[in-house]
Amino acid sequence: MLGKLMKYEWKATWKLLLSANILTVVMTGLARWMVYLMGQTNYNDFQMVDFMAVMVLVTYVGSMFAVCIGTTIYLIYRFYTSTYGDQGYLLHTLPVDTHHIIIAKVLVSAAWVIINIVFIYLSVIFLLASSSEIFESMMEGMVDMIEYLGAEKITAFTVIMTVIAFLFSVFAKVLKVGACISLGQLSSNHKLMLAFAWYMGIYVVEQMFQGVYFAITIYIQQMMSRKDYWDYFSYYDNQWETSLLAGILSCVVYYLLTWYVMGRKLNLD
Amino acid sequence: MTPVVQCMGLTKTYGRKIALNQVNLNLERGRIIGLLGPNGSGKTTLIKIMNGLLKPTAGEILINGQHPGVETKMRISYLPERTYLQPGMKVLELIQYFQDFYADFRVDRAYDMLARLQIPPQERLKNLSKGTKEKVQLIMVMSRDADLYILDEPIAGVDPAARDYILHTIVSNYNRCGSILLSTHLISDVENILDEVVFIKYGSIVLQAGAEQIRQNERKSVDQFFREVFAC
Repeated sequence: MLGKLMKYEWKATWKLLLSANILTVVMTGLARWMVYLMGQTNYNDFQMVDFMAVMVLVTYVGSMFAVCIGTTIYLIYRFYTSTYGDQGYLLHTLPVDTHHIIIAKVLVSAAWVIINIVFIYLSVIFLLASSSEIFESMMEGMVDMIEYLGAEKITAFTVIMTVIAFLFSVFAKVLKVGACISLGQLSSNHKLMLAFAWYMGIYVVEQMFQGVYFAITIYIQQMMSRKDYWDYFSYYDNQWETSLLAGILSCVVYYLLTWYVMGRKLNLD
Repeated sequence: MTPVVQCMGLTKTYGRKIALNQVNLNLERGRIIGLLGPNGSGKTTLIKIMNGLLKPTAGEILINGQHPGVETKMRISYLPERTYLQPGMKVLELIQYFQDFYADFRVDRAYDMLARLQIPPQERLKNLSKGTKEKVQLIMVMSRDADLYILDEPIAGVDPAARDYILHTIVSNYNRCGSILLSTHLISDVENILDEVVFIKYGSIVLQAGAEQIRQNERKSVDQFFREVFAC
């Protein structure tokens, strides 16, 4: 049943979200063409083509934001309406396990978030690659950073683990939204407002945990190294481990919260 | 044989408001049962609990001897009082959806009912009128061979001609080994098809009796008797 749920979740979302990503591709092509045109003009003065290029680039940046924010809002709306809105009456009367419902929704939403991020990253790289100077300086910057961090520390293992940690962080973000919407359902009234309040509350708690972790890490490092300054980059030596742990923990907590409300406290109006 | 529905001391509260109060109820198989009561009497709350859409505050409910869950959802065919379908879906996609999730869904029956109503399967739900959407929803629900059909206000808000069609569809398509629980406050329209009635008032069951029994004992129609019991 999980496969079927995912199939229908994908079918319900792909048209709109793919269109958003196609917009990214179109805007990238347009922006790169404009950058190319700017490079072709021999005039030193500000020309019409420069004005158009600026306009296109501003639209490009705006559309990237719109695609990101639009995808997020749509996924939240989709989760809410299909789970706790009218369509929830169909979803929750299907002979499927609550775990399957949550997993299907999270996997499909996370897939769209990742597709979105990949499209936008590729778009930016493609745009920057239009100028060989910019691209070269970007690559040089990356090489410098790798050397500064210590090239021997960046192995295939750490890269893979960083990617896994990133994936968990995406799942955690999606699950957090799902958990907050679900927790909002515990009230009889103002469910959306309560969901937003839960989100803000959880955000504050997360920031507090992060701050405390940061402070403890600095303190321990200073104690261990007996330095009176903080080595910023050595902090990032263990970054993927921390991110992975935080991601997994968040996923577990938010998943359990969502499952608890959906499975044990379902309260459809 | 185990009753299709057993409620034991079923209670549901919303804050201080009591929606269901110590409901004890057994519904037998092979019967068309009317769950009758005025607005706000607890009909929909009881139905939602049967479907696992609400959790009871106290008491117990068993469907086919099991607590509401995946197993009971396989055997219940539920028509809610609202449109619960994705508007972007085509009717034929909806049939595929029901076929994918319900093993007891009869595709030929669904297409047959659609043809009789001249509803094109290629049409998207968002392009259909409200009444036609409700009919499509009813077709999906009645195309299953379920043990229990729960129909919440299936004739509310539709014209008398459509009411007749809906009731005809219900009576001619349900699984004879199963039961139908039909919730409504439009008693006169459904009275003729009911085998049994359950009166619910302020969240409590005030009467459970055969429709014929009421007509014989009270010498009045179920509708008249209902008006008497629920007179303000």
